[in-house]
Amino acid sequence: MPEEKEAQEDIQRRAAIDGSARFPVLFFITSAAVWLTLAAILGFVQQMKLHSPGFLDFSFLHFLNYGRSNPAFMGALVYGWAIQAGVGVGIWIMARLCRAEVKNPVTLIVAGHFWNLGVLIGVLGILFGHGTSIEWLAFPKAVWPILCGAFSLIVIWLVTMFHRRQDKEVYISVWYILGACFWFPWIFITANLFIHIFPGSAVAKAATNAWFMGSMIYLVLAPIGLASAYYIIPKVIGRPVHSAQLGYYGFWGLAVFGGWTGIQKFMGGPLPAWMPAVSGAAVIIMLIPVLIVTVNQIMTIKGKSIEVNSSPAVRFTVAGISFFVIYCVFSALNSFLTVGKFTQLSFTSLGTQLLAVYGFFSMTIFGAIYFIVPRLTGTEWPSLKRINSHFMLSIYAMGTLLVMHLFGGVWQSTAYGKFDAPLENAISAGKPYAIGGSVAWAVIVFATLGFLMNLVSILSRSGRSEIVSKFVKYIGGQENSG
Amino acid sequence: MKAVPVEWADAETGELFAYPAGKPNIFRQGQIVYAQEGCAYCHTQMIRPTYLGYESWRPDFGKEGTVELPIRTRETRSGDYDGEQFAYLGVQRVGPDLSNVGYRHTEQWHHEHLYDPQSKRDFSVMPSFRHLYIKRKVKGQRSELALSNSKSTDTVVDEYEIVPTEKAKALVGYLMTLKKDDPFSGKVAGEPEDKKSDVKSK
Repeated sequence: MPEEKEAQEDIQRRAAIDGSARFPVLFFITSAAVWLTLAAILGFVQQMKLHSPGFLDFSFLHFLNYGRSNPAFMGALVYGWAIQAGVGVGIWIMARLCRAEVKNPVTLIVAGHFWNLGVLIGVLGILFGHGTSIEWLAFPKAVWPILCGAFSLIVIWLVTMFHRRQDKEVYISVWYILGACFWFPWIFITANLFIHIFPGSAVAKAATNAWFMGSMIYLVLAPIGLASAYYIIPKVIGRPVHSAQLGYYGFWGLAVFGGWTGIQKFMGGPLPAWMPAVSGAAVIIMLIPVLIVTVNQIMTIKGKSIEVNSSPAVRFTVAGISFFVIYCVFSALNSFLTVGKFTQLSFTSLGTQLLAVYGFFSMTIFGAIYFIVPRLTGTEWPSLKRINSHFMLSIYAMGTLLVMHLFGGVWQSTAYGKFDAPLENAISAGKPYAIGGSVAWAVIVFATLGFLMNLVSILSRSGRSEIVSKFVKYIGGQENSG
Repeated sequence: MKAVPVEWADAETGELFAYPAGKPNIFRQGQIVYAQEGCAYCHTQMIRPTYLGYESWRPDFGKEGTVELPIRTRETRSGDYDGEQFAYLGVQRVGPDLSNVGYRHTEQWHHEHLYDPQSKRDFSVMPSFRHLYIKRKVKGQRSELALSNSKSTDTVVDEYEIVPTEKAKALVGYLMTLKKDDPFSGKVAGEPEDKKSDVKSK
């Protein structure tokens, strides 16, 4: 029958695409997972140091002081884990949706090596005292051209893949990934040139840095995370995205307003007042595209709660999208002077970054990884139990971090606001919350080690090989779809 | 790049001043150490106007110990950061704001505090920056810069002394230059020169 033949060809084609994408995607995902483990350990250390400087306080470990371990941890988390895992997932989604094979996987892997080398030099550079103390750009100055060159090499192959696409339709995920591919070099080069190369006033450089962080979240992490969500949810649920048009509105909303965000962080600072005001307004307007995305996703999964609960990929993705909504609402609230004055310059500012990078982005990407890796290795995840515990522990830890950073921050800045009270009150106000945060970090370390072990054992093919995914079989009692 | 200095006259004495004064504001070499050690992750250098909080009234954000009554430190302005490589406005306030730390302590205090913060403030959560100091055998006379709060674990107090390295000296030099409160005319940009004429025109 022609239909059956077509389906057979389709499967073969998909297998060929997966085969071509296999090595670069697995390379990026594995090295990202290693960086995540490292970042989680550094995250625990820096959080412990925040409340008890006596922790690991040996002279030869002076490089773990909070001022160095915190930026090293952030660098490892953002550049080592987030962007790298995003690139891995992005390559695979592009290949699948453009129905194009990955030509030249070697170049991608070489670029990946250079990226890893850049991050390694950066993290070690910070730890050994060559950091710049510029948030999210704390790597020594010399590193950014390496990162930039490596990323450009990756982008070139993604764009050529898009050119060779055999599917006429350009899916919403492809839009998001291509957007992120162009936005990251743009904001990264701009920020580095204006901070490190061009002369400029010191305050303008600080503002550039704040803009860079806002844009990184809204124009790089958000598009890749949303692309993954727009792919994974419909795929597993077996139903197209509720409305493609809403998807495009969401994309353009993000594209138009995303680049204005960030500077609200310095409201009341030594900048012209319009800069934080415009950024704050952009963050509030961002709620519209976020609402569009959320409605679209909710309509897609409506009435399919069994699938959501039985597939780890969708469960992680839905959790990630929920954290994204929380992040956006929370940032919008912080952009009002009346709320922001209690959260600015406190634990909350770090908490919101973690909410975006760990709560939203990482959870979504975990979902994508749980979906993609079995398809590339041809084996099933060895331990469903470990996936479930990874999910529960991550949710628990992120929730704890959210509460600790939010309330801790408000408590801390209220204490500093009581101007006639002694300094001791203000400093000890944040302490209990910092202790709570380190419990959460211990949990994250534990969860991440489980994730890494699961990944390593599936890669070494020690996992049971089953042809039908056990997660699909679980639903498949009534319907026998693959 | 620097802000254009604006001249202004003291209302009482008629003496002429300029803001920004055009003098080098900070000790740049020390700011590099400040960045390398990541001080900016716990300390801000940004005092906000009162509509965002009352921290500008804190004595420990201003000139602690030099005044009797609570006195307000002014909020930081962009001219205060002239000549700096990067304005370390800060992330979170784990420790106090450092915009005006140059007024608050002596160099000796800073060195002793950096070496062992808890010896100065027992509630402090600041890490020790021992690696910026070296312990050496006293040869001849003791160094003027030798610290007096060496920990009991450092033993043999008489034979050895703890002295700051160049990095520590640069860092403290930088902290001592942090005085972001140059006076300015108080005129708001765009405000008419003569307010009376403005009233008449209404």
